[in-house]
Amino acid sequence: MPDETRFQRVLFVLRRDWQLYLMLAPTVIWLLLFLYKPMYGLQIAFKDYSIFRGIAASPWVGLEHFHTLFGSDQFVRAVKNTVIISAFSLLFGFPVPILLALMFNEILHKTFKKTAQTIVYLPHFISSVIIAGIVITAFSPSVGIINYLISWLGFEPIYFLTKPEWFRPIFIGTGIWQEAGFSSIVYLAAIAGVSPTLYESAVVDGASRWQMMWKITLPSIMTTIIIMLIIRIGNLLEVSFEMIILLYQPATFETADVVNTWIYRQGLQGGQYDLAAAAGLFNAVVAFVLVIAANSLSKRYSRTSLW
Amino acid sequence: MSGVILDKVVKRYGAVEVVHAIDLTVEPQEFVVLVGPSGCGKSTTLRMIAGLEEISDGTVEIDGRVVNRVAPKDRDVAMVFQNYALYPHLNVADNIAFGLRIRRTPKAEVLASIEEVAGILGLTEYLDRRPADLSGGQRQRVAMGRAIVRHPKVFLFDEPLSNLDAKLRTQMRAEIKRLHKRLGVTSVYVTHDQVEAMTLADRIVVMQDGHIEQIGTPMDLFLNPVNTFVAGFIGSPPMNQIEAIVEGGADAPRATFAGQSIALPKLDELSSRVGEKVTIGIRPEHAKIEPAGADAISVELDLVETLGSEALLHTTLAGNPFIIKAETGGDVEHLNQVTQFWAGPETIKVFDGKTGRAFGHPATSYQGGS
Ligand SMILES: Nc1ncnc2c1ncn2[C@@H]1O[C@H](COP(=O)(O)OP(=O)(O)O)[C@@H](O)[C@H]1O
Ligand SMILES: [Mg+2]
Repeated sequence: MPDETRFQRVLFVLRRDWQLYLMLAPTVIWLLLFLYKPMYGLQIAFKDYSIFRGIAASPWVGLEHFHTLFGSDQFVRAVKNTVIISAFSLLFGFPVPILLALMFNEILHKTFKKTAQTIVYLPHFISSVIIAGIVITAFSPSVGIINYLISWLGFEPIYFLTKPEWFRPIFIGTGIWQEAGFSSIVYLAAIAGVSPTLYESAVVDGASRWQMMWKITLPSIMTTIIIMLIIRIGNLLEVSFEMIILLYQPATFETADVVNTWIYRQGLQGGQYDLAAAAGLFNAVVAFVLVIAANSLSKRYSRTSLW
Repeated sequence: MSGVILDKVVKRYGAVEVVHAIDLTVEPQEFVVLVGPSGCGKSTTLRMIAGLEEISDGTVEIDGRVVNRVAPKDRDVAMVFQNYALYPHLNVADNIAFGLRIRRTPKAEVLASIEEVAGILGLTEYLDRRPADLSGGQRQRVAMGRAIVRHPKVFLFDEPLSNLDAKLRTQMRAEIKRLHKRLGVTSVYVTHDQVEAMTLADRIVVMQDGHIEQIGTPMDLFLNPVNTFVAGFIGSPPMNQIEAIVEGGADAPRATFAGQSIALPKLDELSSRVGEKVTIGIRPEHAKIEPAGADAISVELDLVETLGSEALLHTTLAGNPFIIKAETGGDVEHLNQVTQFWAGPETIKVFDGKTGRAFGHPATSYQGGS
């Protein structure tokens, strides 16, 4: 139909696939309500905001808050910490679930496999507060198992959680402990999707288990790995800040304070909503750029991409 | 040269036995096809030869060596799978070279082998492509290439053509046959398609329910099926089977059914069977429609399927379908008038009404039964 209008066409598609659009609706509504509507409030990053005047009535101040941010040693330190913690989390944390999945895949004994999997999945289901409690207890200088071992070996106990140099390893390690097992499920699912005949064919060709892991399993789940990597890079700045809040203390702010915890202290505790919004916007823009960059790099070099 | 010998090979999954003590000798350079309905144990048997399944009982011998406890990689066999089992992340050249690289073959040798195999299979232009960018037939060829390149002692094929469309299947069938002629490698080929079996095999092994029903050349199975199962499985369309009662003596045996009667071949066994139930088998090709006088059998014509030079006449005889294959001679009209056929006694098979075993078949080549 050449003289069909665009509107008619849309109407036709809507009518034909209305069930699909109906199923899509809750997600779209959720996105609009919780992710798009709040964007209206983003403008306070460019305003001298006061809750008494309200968003609309507050006067514009241009980029003043951004000047303040980058003039603040604390904010710059928070950006630096965010980048360092994120980079190391990615570096050490990203491969662990993949290795776990590959290892689980090699376990033939069913009961042992199930038990091992349950044990590594478990921390994911435990509240961060409890995880932090466990970590704090474990590293405690008086009752902690770590310091107990250190003393037993004849060294002085270390008060880990007050030492800035220990914060990042402990935080990153905790993150891996908490999430690596659960994240490995995605890779296990990908591995389960690899056709068994690929392995049978390789067995007949003479491949060892090790060779099959490197030459079949890993390449077969590479698409999944890349997609997970893109998602991870997109969320790079989303350091799990509630865990930081639970573990840090003023003594470790130097290495522990990240953009989100800084926003939390300035915005919610200090009432500087406009400044916090500016910092949040900065975080979001950087994250956005990272996702786009990661996706296009992946598209170029591995023919795999999210969109 | 390398043959394969199966001696009383059994496969059990837990308490369930799915392959029952089968014996089979594949001569060096022979092309043997295992054929049978789905679930009869063909793949299981092949996989025991490959080493992908444990052998529960009995022995498998390859090239004079018992391989029950030999790892697949040391059996020197190559296998082609139904779904090709190509590595999606590797291009054609790397797929072909996979087995060689696994065995740490020198680089120059690998490259030479890829080139040689690609030449044989007409894949030279596609070496850089990934499997996803190939047609079904090309993928099939790459799978063959992976097998050929290793120069194994035995080729094992598990329904390699089942994923192809009919035309391509015919084409690849011919190609496999040509390849076997050229390379002369002992091959065991599994299929559920009797046409594939008939066209490819030096010898066919017909299986059912984990048993071997009959082993023989395609012609042997066509002309002398040992039982009603083989008769009903081999040939397209398969042999017509009619339940009948034996009459007459040893010198003029006849079979009667639904008020009609037909002369049977003079088989010694028939003389003691007078009055007993038998199944008589008549191949569609052996049922003639030319005027036959007194010994003609009346049928009711339902439908004529024209294939070109031949036609299939679907008829009803004594309440059962009966198919006649006739020459058209360029004219189908006269076929629509068919009301009867005849068949020479020498072309008629007689099977025991209870066991389905063929009368007059040499007992030695009879291998199983039900
Ligand atoms: N892993 C298994 N566990 C239990 N039974 C199996 C297994 N693999 C195959 N079987 C059974 O063995 C029989 C033969 O299977 P198969 O050799 O694959 O038949 P086909 O002749 O179709 O290739 C079937 O009845 C099948 O259900
Ligand atoms: Mg099979």
